[in-house]
Amino acid sequence: MKNPILEAKGISKSFGSIKALDDVDFFLEKGKIHGLLGENGAGKSSLMNILSGIYVPEKGTLTISGHLIKRLNPDLASSYGIGMVHQEFRLIDSFSIKDNLTLSKSNIYQNNFNDAFSKYSDIFALNLNAMTPVSELSVGEKQKVEIMKLIFNNSSIMLLDEPTAVLTPQETIQLKVSLETLSQEDEKTIVLITHKLKEIKDFTEIIYVMKNGKMVAKELDTKTVSDTQLIELMMGEVKTSIFNKNNFKGDIKLEARDISFTNEQNIKTLQNVSLEIKSGEVLGIAGVSGNGQVELANIICGIIKDFEGKVIVKTTDVSGKGVKSRKKLNVSYIPENRLGVGLAPGVSVLDNSAIKEYFQASFGPHLSKNVLLNSLNDLINKFSIKAPDVKAEISTLSGGNMQKLLMGRELISNPDVIIAAQPTRGLDVSAVNSIHNLIIDQRDKGSAILLISEDLDELFKLSDRLLVMYEGKVVTEIETELATVENIGLAMAGINE
Amino acid sequence: MNKFILSKKLYRNDLATFYSFLIGFLIAIIVGSIILLIQSKNPFDVFSLMLKLSIGSVNSLSNSLNKAIPLILAGLGISIINSVKLWNIGAEGQIFFGAIALNFVYINTSIENSYLYIFLLLASGFIGGSVCILLPALSKVLFGVNEIITTLLTNYIVFGLTIYLINGVWKDPNSLNFPAAAYVSESVYLPTLFGKLSSGFLICILFTLIAYYIKDKSVFGYEMRIAGGSAQTAIYAGISAKQKAFTAMLIGGGFAGLAGAIELLSQTHRVSTGISQGFGYTAIIVAAITGMRPLGIFLVGSLFGALAIGGSVIQTIGVSSYISEIIQATTLFGALISQFFFSYEIKRVEDD
Repeated sequence: MKNPILEAKGISKSFGSIKALDDVDFFLEKGKIHGLLGENGAGKSSLMNILSGIYVPEKGTLTISGHLIKRLNPDLASSYGIGMVHQEFRLIDSFSIKDNLTLSKSNIYQNNFNDAFSKYSDIFALNLNAMTPVSELSVGEKQKVEIMKLIFNNSSIMLLDEPTAVLTPQETIQLKVSLETLSQEDEKTIVLITHKLKEIKDFTEIIYVMKNGKMVAKELDTKTVSDTQLIELMMGEVKTSIFNKNNFKGDIKLEARDISFTNEQNIKTLQNVSLEIKSGEVLGIAGVSGNGQVELANIICGIIKDFEGKVIVKTTDVSGKGVKSRKKLNVSYIPENRLGVGLAPGVSVLDNSAIKEYFQASFGPHLSKNVLLNSLNDLINKFSIKAPDVKAEISTLSGGNMQKLLMGRELISNPDVIIAAQPTRGLDVSAVNSIHNLIIDQRDKGSAILLISEDLDELFKLSDRLLVMYEGKVVTEIETELATVENIGLAMAGINE
Repeated sequence: MNKFILSKKLYRNDLATFYSFLIGFLIAIIVGSIILLIQSKNPFDVFSLMLKLSIGSVNSLSNSLNKAIPLILAGLGISIINSVKLWNIGAEGQIFFGAIALNFVYINTSIENSYLYIFLLLASGFIGGSVCILLPALSKVLFGVNEIITTLLTNYIVFGLTIYLINGVWKDPNSLNFPAAAYVSESVYLPTLFGKLSSGFLICILFTLIAYYIKDKSVFGYEMRIAGGSAQTAIYAGISAKQKAFTAMLIGGGFAGLAGAIELLSQTHRVSTGISQGFGYTAIIVAAITGMRPLGIFLVGSLFGALAIGGSVIQTIGVSSYISEIIQATTLFGALISQFFFSYEIKRVEDD
């Protein structure tokens, strides 16, 4: 490394029993654009939070511009010129652009604001008056103001967490040009955090890859590294299946025909997706998140109604009907977002345990606490859930127990169709194993299961067939036996052989 | 090194809410005593007189319970609306509008059977309360307008409407220039049970049970809790959060409107500014102290009714009736503050 501005060595950080970062090294070269690639939960955000002083690592050393830092805090980090753009914007909506840009005490353009603003407006292609309130800005414009804020606060190291997630393709191209200008003219050191392969190739000069809290590749030269290499690094080694795949498959229980969907931002998130799943079969959907999987699951489960195409459960066409039509046909949905969608925060464990079936006759005309309590105790025993107090808020449960409650609630009725989205994300090994066993158990009982996951290991282990989604389309469909990690991984990156 | 942190307890149970109410009430009595001492009155004398004249005899007890009726009903309405995590500050206006709706129906109809007529009039009061909250409810679910502001503002509109009606079209020519509408016929007065206790108190008991059922036992109550907890989860569960919010607001407004109707048929017997003496605002205190529990609202509402009666009678010995309002308000303060201590615990953690 010619010109290291920041060196992090041997960084480790745990949250409870989960090792978020394990002996991680990370170096930044002055004036270069670095890419940090990894799946969700690989540890990218934890590492960035350590660099910006929000988390304190348990082990490791940090050297910034030649100074060994004993204990970093956010204030100190910003005085060393480290600035971060978070995925959720940290702007004050009712303030003007100017007020937002000059808010921090470390801002350096208090006196010559107008010159600086017009210079950087050019670089970012932002055609706005500095007095415009931020609330009137589009998401893309807010993103630009966020990045400009780092410049105004004299940040020389800019950490950008998934900056393109909210941008249109045109805005993404514009961002690339702006970042190149900043690194070349202002010698800004930039870190782009992403799980999108294409962007990391387009934007960066040096690539780091993380997997399960470890840095699996350091200082790769973007020009020489191949897509296949990156995919292999990102996905890691896939273990061979341990589950018996001689399961009996029956009639088709779930069918989606030619599903297309255009979202509120007028982006076509699904294009002619078709699939069918038989009783006793697990269909895995592979794909980097944000390629239409959530929309597909929401359409199948009746949350999104204004789509084109057909959803058929068993023999009933349920297109255009709501959530309850699916529930009455015994369809279960384990959503990606556990706490917030699948479980209501601030509501008791007891109330959360009945969300699937509360309106069914089994709960009687009167939803008494006793009826709820009996069915919850059933869940707790069958799925060995640890709940300290059932009247307490759901958030008093650990992540693993929350997921067991959610899975148990959705599975106890022995559903005909199960949609499971990222069912094991963020869980520790033992919880992952018990969730996998539940899914296979349910498969053997004759459920048709749609498994949406980013974890190839999980998909290979559980699925009978695999679909790969990329930009709202099914790009590959293959029997798991015939699939290899490479061809699935490349399809996930949108690369056709 | 050890550090102490405040950590949130798993949940606040009924008992903790009861204790925090008791502590709040105790603080209020102490504060009230200090104020009385400053005025060189003996607090013990004043409070024992209050006690005697508010619950000491059948008559005084029935007065107290009569006062409690509107507090309880409006408080129940507020608690139902709070199930979807919305605040109704408009109970005062809904009480007035319930009375106005009753009078409107009374003027334009006539039914021989007085029980049937009373039932119709009470129902029109309930519907009046719902109509009163219709605009805030619609603007909440259609445009997301903050219901605290709109329900509060509705109070001023309804109060203005009341003043207009009793000085204008409804003004009773026989009222000697006192602005009030004409009395309703004695045949539709609510009968008394014993002492002066209005049979409205039975309605109040019935509606306490109804509110308890809606909130704790019904499917609708369950759906309100989920919708109040997370809009996203409600969508996932197939529950329309907006529909629940709308229905809850109409029911809650109806409870307060019914309070206005009972007040008219059992106390004032006509529309005047005396229909409510801030009952809708005190009801917010009652509901908040009990953590929105219907049975608690019944008990605390009864106590606050007694306090109001006690407060008005001590004026005869030269003590301001404001002392009872100070006690009510301080109870809320004390209860809310001690609720904080019941919801959190101080934990010692090892610093690394």
